[in-house]
Amino acid sequence: MDGRDEGSSEMEAPIAVDLSRGSAAADLTGKVHQLPCCIKHDGPTPVSQYFKPKPTEMEVDGLKVEEAHFRGRKLHGTTVALPRGYSGFILGKKCHDQGNNGMNSQGWVTAATFEDITVWNHDAIPSKDDAFLRAFHWFTAANALHQTVTAEDLESACIDWELV
Amino acid sequence: MGSEAPPPLPEWASEPCIMGIDEAGRGPVLGPMVYGCLYCALSYQKTLSTLSFADSKTLKEEKREELFENLKADESIGWGVDIIDPRELSDKMLRKNKINLNEISHESAMGLIRKALNLGVLLTEVYLDTVGDTEKYRVKLSERFPNIKFVVAKKADSLYAVVSGASIVAKVTRDRALRNWMPDETAELNRNFGSGYPGDPQTKVWLEDHKHSVFGFPSLVRFSWGTCMSYSKDFVEVLWESDATDEEERGKSSKRQKKLTSVGFTTVKERSEDIESSGKGRCKFFQARKLELLSQF
Repeated sequence: MDGRDEGSSEMEAPIAVDLSRGSAAADLTGKVHQLPCCIKHDGPTPVSQYFKPKPTEMEVDGLKVEEAHFRGRKLHGTTVALPRGYSGFILGKKCHDQGNNGMNSQGWVTAATFEDITVWNHDAIPSKDDAFLRAFHWFTAANALHQTVTAEDLESACIDWELV
Repeated sequence: MGSEAPPPLPEWASEPCIMGIDEAGRGPVLGPMVYGCLYCALSYQKTLSTLSFADSKTLKEEKREELFENLKADESIGWGVDIIDPRELSDKMLRKNKINLNEISHESAMGLIRKALNLGVLLTEVYLDTVGDTEKYRVKLSERFPNIKFVVAKKADSLYAVVSGASIVAKVTRDRALRNWMPDETAELNRNFGSGYPGDPQTKVWLEDHKHSVFGFPSLVRFSWGTCMSYSKDFVEVLWESDATDEEERGKSSKRQKKLTSVGFTTVKERSEDIESSGKGRCKFFQARKLELLSQF
């Protein structure tokens, strides 16, 4: 995804994201791969015919290391389950015509979901310190940040105003 | 050594022995590169010379196969191979800290020597074809194996029977490995690779027939070969994180950057932004985890 939003600058309709899993939504668990490269191509391609990850004997930080090849480079990766309460969504654009004032409202619908992701490195064995894996820390931080604050919490965190 | 369980060490192997080492499949753009070795007691050298190996390259395939079988059956001869998978070649030569083909070759040869020594063979002389600088190679070998006399020479396979024997071992092994190649890919592949040399018309046709815009080629192909680079117009562009960091570190080599822009590559700055969210303008927690807020999409 990029920051561009074609069209919405011309209209003021909100952009809706529909996360309901319709019958058409595929389950791509086990099939989503984050590669350490940018492939300048958008569209279908026969991934399962060419990209063949294999398990290895290696285990690092409790992560089981897999290996694969892409364009001749050897990749090492690991599959991580998304934390409980979270899912991965692959969204597709949906454009509805609102009719009345000819206003189009753009939206996104769920094309597929996934419950794990395989993260790949080139020239480095995966570790829990990899940026992508550390991104999941956000969930813990977000939960802590957004939890309701109790009176006790306030008291124990209180600043002594007399000293300020 | 070989693919069978090692037989008990023959008596002659405890006498001073000579070994020849040669390779097959260094030049081709596809398939494995094979290092082969042949060894026997010094006292057997004369007999070896009569076994008419000649230059393996001039022999017909059937003749080479026959000679290989004879060698295997000869109880006074030992042999071994190291089959280097094309995926290993591509991997090592495309790493950030590249391992070049000569280094790979040297390590393979030294591996064969090590294996024989571990079996208990009393190697005193080893003959090899030159790879890279002759004297440097000889010195490297002598430092690794101080008790062995090394003879490194150009066209060693036509000078020394042990080397021409090794070259047969290597060549036949490579031919068989290629014939029996089991591709990883489940995409449609035919097996008419030809010799695998970039100049071979049949190989060229095979490459044309098996190229893919996203995946490049099946992994039988050595992606680090110049031949593959010439197909880059047929492939979609792929930008690697490790290349981007590499260039940032080298930084001032603007000469190289100019060359890349002239063939349509984007600059380093654009690259890293393409590949990952930068978490720009956010606090360290997010930056370190490459998380950025996507409020509009």
